[in-house]
Amino acid sequence: MATAKDFVSRVDQIDGVAGCLLIKENGASLGQTLDDVDTYTSLLLNSVELSNEVMEKTGFSYCRHISFQRSNDENFYIFPIRNYLLGVLLDADCSEPVMLEQVAQLINRVSVGGP
Amino acid sequence: MINLIDELKVIPGIVGACIVSTEGLQATNLPAMFKPERLSLVGNHLLALSASGRNSFSDLTDMTLNYDESVVVARELIEGTILFAICDPTFNYNLLTMSFNLLQEEFKGGNFSASTVAAPVVTEPVAAPPTPPSEAKISAPLQDLLDDLKRLLSKILGPMAGFVFDDVVEEWQAQGAAGFSRIEDLISGINREIDDQEKIDHYRSLIAPLLKSFQKG
Repeated sequence: MATAKDFVSRVDQIDGVAGCLLIKENGASLGQTLDDVDTYTSLLLNSVELSNEVMEKTGFSYCRHISFQRSNDENFYIFPIRNYLLGVLLDADCSEPVMLEQVAQLINRVSVGGP
Repeated sequence: MINLIDELKVIPGIVGACIVSTEGLQATNLPAMFKPERLSLVGNHLLALSASGRNSFSDLTDMTLNYDESVVVARELIEGTILFAICDPTFNYNLLTMSFNLLQEEFKGGNFSASTVAAPVVTEPVAAPPTPPSEAKISAPLQDLLDDLKRLLSKILGPMAGFVFDDVVEEWQAQGAAGFSRIEDLISGINREIDDQEKIDHYRSLIAPLLKSFQKG
């Protein structure tokens, strides 16, 4: 994966993905295909911090993803990837298991430095 | 009167559920290893997460936090009151949300407050008698043994073992001198937390050589 923008572009091309953004843990934006980046950045940072608090209190070990389910089915997923956070907004008709598998494959390629 | 959160626990893969309001823990049927004070904090964090989510999505319904070992599914029943379930990764999400819907209707209709919320599970802890410093002190060899017992408990309880063990040791120390002569009291406390005879037996088999070795000095 050459660049963060390339990664964002590939995530954005997954079936059922309406848009996405990638930020660093300090809030710096690395790439996005969504409008209103500031609102989403704030949501990503708050969510991961609170998820870590829940993890600490329950004794769980690692957060794979956080999701927000909406009544219009345009759900939103957050994936912590090392020092980065990926936010993904879904279309209402997205097959979430398929999307999750494809995002996981892309994340794995990034994490292991694959093609 | 039917306890509504008990109905959630019947769903395959659901470990248990909990309701927390801004006033604290209202009801839980999660295993004893999830301490009420921690559940209350978890609820507060989830309420904050819900507020953050609603800031971006006015039509937010549920939130799901997928951890390696378990999944936490949460819904704000009314403003300031959150319901959450802890589930195995294989749980049926649709079945759970349908049950959440029913429970939320009952809750809004006031039926829930008549049953479960009227009897909050949070109680003031019974104050333990003050422990003289000499009794609370643990010798270095005994501390090494406790560290080993804690490590082995993680083979039984997984990531919760550390919390569970520390809590039991704290209670054990409050009840008397922290010496090897009272080690069986400590193990009984741990067994109560494990709450599964097969796992209790397994834990005993793991720690038995350590206890024997310690006794021999």
